[in-house]
Amino acid sequence: MPQDVVLQTSGLTKRFGELIAVDHLDLHVNRGEVVGLLGPNGAGKSTTIGMVLGLVAPTAGSAQVLGHDVATHREKALAGVGAMLEVTSFYPYLSGRDNLVAVALLRGHGALARVDPVLTRIGLAPRGGSTFRTYSLGMRQRLGIASTLLGDPALVILDEPANGLDPAGQREIRELIRELAKEGRGVLLASHLLHEVEQVCDRVIVIKKGRLIASGTIAEVAHRGNYYEISVPDAGRASSALRALPGVKEIRVAGSTLEVVAEAGRGAELNRALASAGIYASALVPRTSSLEDVFLELTESESDAAAAS
Amino acid sequence: MPWVLLGLVALAGIGLYLLVYTAAQASLQAERSGAVPPQPGTEEAMTDLLRQIRPASVQSFGVGLVSGIGSVMLIIFAASHVGTEFGWGTLRTLLAHGAGRATFLGAKLLSIAGFGVLFIFVGVVAATIGSYLATTIAGGDTSGVDPGAISTAAARGYYTFLPYMALAALIAVVSRSAGAGIAAGLIVYFAEGLVTSLLVQLNRDFANIVNYGLSRNASALTRVAVTTSASPETNFAALPGEGQAAIVLAAYTALFVALAYWRLRTRDITLG
Repeated sequence: MPQDVVLQTSGLTKRFGELIAVDHLDLHVNRGEVVGLLGPNGAGKSTTIGMVLGLVAPTAGSAQVLGHDVATHREKALAGVGAMLEVTSFYPYLSGRDNLVAVALLRGHGALARVDPVLTRIGLAPRGGSTFRTYSLGMRQRLGIASTLLGDPALVILDEPANGLDPAGQREIRELIRELAKEGRGVLLASHLLHEVEQVCDRVIVIKKGRLIASGTIAEVAHRGNYYEISVPDAGRASSALRALPGVKEIRVAGSTLEVVAEAGRGAELNRALASAGIYASALVPRTSSLEDVFLELTESESDAAAAS
Repeated sequence: MPWVLLGLVALAGIGLYLLVYTAAQASLQAERSGAVPPQPGTEEAMTDLLRQIRPASVQSFGVGLVSGIGSVMLIIFAASHVGTEFGWGTLRTLLAHGAGRATFLGAKLLSIAGFGVLFIFVGVVAATIGSYLATTIAGGDTSGVDPGAISTAAARGYYTFLPYMALAALIAVVSRSAGAGIAAGLIVYFAEGLVTSLLVQLNRDFANIVNYGLSRNASALTRVAVTTSASPETNFAALPGEGQAAIVLAAYTALFVALAYWRLRTRDITLG
């Protein structure tokens, strides 16, 4: 495992009876990098995180944190991890601060001294003495995030950290995540908020039914959905003329309009090819897609297929 | 919950002594005043009861009282202590922050065992206070307290709690629920005692079998304590010996703890 890699999974698989929750998943997170883990509900994100944290035993494959296999050297592996799970759970009768103290006692290595600075950093210091049961959802999320920072982790895992936060809170969390990466920590962020992922992540991993279906930088994944919308008098001939061009990945025909999936900056080349074939486009508009478009396209196609079957 | 249980056993320890005293006095006065027709043996029985609530008999009456309440309360405590970690989701949080499963269970069981010690201590102290109060009000003899005998009886009573607490914790781990742990623990506690007492009546073979159950061995240990002071039981010979009782209860405790550890170690800690 290279020095910069803080998390690496190899062929990670989890079956619950007949159900394959995670299917041979390979992913990695580098130091100083924020990686988004995306997928629809039930895609296997939380199960993947559970396996990385040793909460769920993999059926096959392995997860390594800082070079330590989670299955065989769990304590060493988790010593470098700060994790916030999807449902933030603490002792309801203890104050937020005391809950952090309880976690810090598990962490050791000066974690107790970080309790108050972490509470301040996360904006919970004024309510640190209130019992957890009195906290709003947003405050619970903040406490969960605070708990991840007690052990000075090399890898921070955040499962839906912005749940229940107001827009200002969401922005603060985004800024915090970027700060964590700047401090050299690797961050694995599971989130449904695609605009949030788009703003903070360096790379994304999209999983569906436990399988990795797309990965890369935000630009790489988002641009998978870029296309040119071309209005032509004869869509059939135009389609034939463009199909042979290098860089054209897909052509969809909708009446007299073509949707040509191709890399950015190929508009002139497409136009030239059409003109060479004696076809003159009345309009050629580059359409860019967002991560959300691509995500929905990837996941809806699966839903449609499932519905059809 | 711990404070509530400690408060309850303290109240019960004092309150039941006063209640027994009041009931015995009321019965005696009613009979003496002619308010109720005299029944043969009633006066002797009530006088004997008042004798049993004297401080000199705390090791039998008081400890027996606390042990009876304690088994039920400590089943509730043990199941809650473990089950709520699943219900609140705090087990996931602790494990995600690096706690080991064996460490978690070990800490839980140790704190349950420690609370058991505190519980019986508070209960026995309260019973002793209740005994002094009731006997003083009755104008009886408050001398003769035997701290050694009380401690021995309390230790025996505590020892009998261990398998029940371990069982309740095991069921809570298996079911991931405090409620299920409490319910199943209490059902086993009462049902096994009931079935055992029925089987013992049937024949010696059944009696030999149930002599390896929890309730018979628990009775063997606690009744030894009782019989050493005052009231021998007619069926005492049918109970297992002290040594067997201690070994059987220890074996059950170890078995339940081992099963709880095995289940926790092999279980996926998920949201559901």
